[in-house]
Amino acid sequence: MILDLHNHSIRSDDGKARVENYCQWIRRRGLALDGFVLSEHRQFDGESDYRPLEDEFGLLILKASEVETDYGHVLVFGVNEDLLAALDFARVDLPLADVLRETERCGALAVPCHPGRPNVGLFAHYAARGPLPGVTLVETLNGGSRGGENELAGREAERYGYRGVGGSDAHIVSHIGRCATRFEAPIRSAEGLVAALRAGRYEAIACPSTSPS
Amino acid sequence: MPVDVAELKRSWTGFEFDRVEFPVTAEELAAFARAVGESAPWFVDPGHPEFRAVPNFTTKYHGRRMWPPDFPRLSKHSVGFDAGKRVEVHAPIRAGDVLTARSQIHDIYEKTGRSGSMVFIVHRMEFSNQRGELAAVVDWRFLQQPDPD
Repeated sequence: MILDLHNHSIRSDDGKARVENYCQWIRRRGLALDGFVLSEHRQFDGESDYRPLEDEFGLLILKASEVETDYGHVLVFGVNEDLLAALDFARVDLPLADVLRETERCGALAVPCHPGRPNVGLFAHYAARGPLPGVTLVETLNGGSRGGENELAGREAERYGYRGVGGSDAHIVSHIGRCATRFEAPIRSAEGLVAALRAGRYEAIACPSTSPS
Repeated sequence: MPVDVAELKRSWTGFEFDRVEFPVTAEELAAFARAVGESAPWFVDPGHPEFRAVPNFTTKYHGRRMWPPDFPRLSKHSVGFDAGKRVEVHAPIRAGDVLTARSQIHDIYEKTGRSGSMVFIVHRMEFSNQRGELAAVVDWRFLQQPDPD
């Protein structure tokens, strides 16, 4: 099963894509995606109901968040009410140590994204402050990365023994499916996604081009 | 210099700081439409029975003030830049209308990116016509990068 783990809709301040248009694009272009995750900036979208789109297009649509921490941007999967009460998602300076601790306590999972990026990538902060305990996986393939950022992410992830996932970081329709994550087992929910990421049976992939599984 | 964005937002959002009237002429409606590449007769031909403004027409207008008096500058070295406009169209704008534009700071928020910390100031202009009907809302995002600590 292939999921694109990092995308933004118009609910993000810089997102230009409607979720329906992502679905249409995936089907019309025949992208090899079985679903995608919406990770809106500094918020969790607890309101939108995408089940009709899931049924219409035969895609899994999950919701997550991209928060901003003192070690850069971090995807949070498995967001629930406990976690929303514990962390102020709107802040731009959340301590990553707090995010790691609270996500673990609440049954969610924190994954630093585009870690090879200046300023907002984990490894830029490692260079200055050293590694942080508790990080287990990072986004090694990001569709919005510029030259060398993904390569640096992969290299440093290997150095620290982190597993890697892939996501497009799409803000416009045509960018979805640039990077994704291939899972061994099917995933049906946000909780299932967290379990699968913890289990470790997946790989980051770039530009999947075959038919959906 | 660290910026307290929450305090900025509390202090500066939600009040009108400028109001300007703009009479709308057929000539400027047609000229703006042609300038943005429109060719449909209801946008470029003043003689057309449905002649009206293109949806983004109100982005041409500026008030007398960009910011409220004494609004703080967040950087000593940069004035920032336009980070894009979002237009909501509520009613057709036609030749002969007189639009009243009211300005306020609608939102202030921050984010981080490749280039560091960014503060977005959303200047909202609400345009109503001579009948008091809301015609359009334009949100202009302006980006300022605070000086590093």
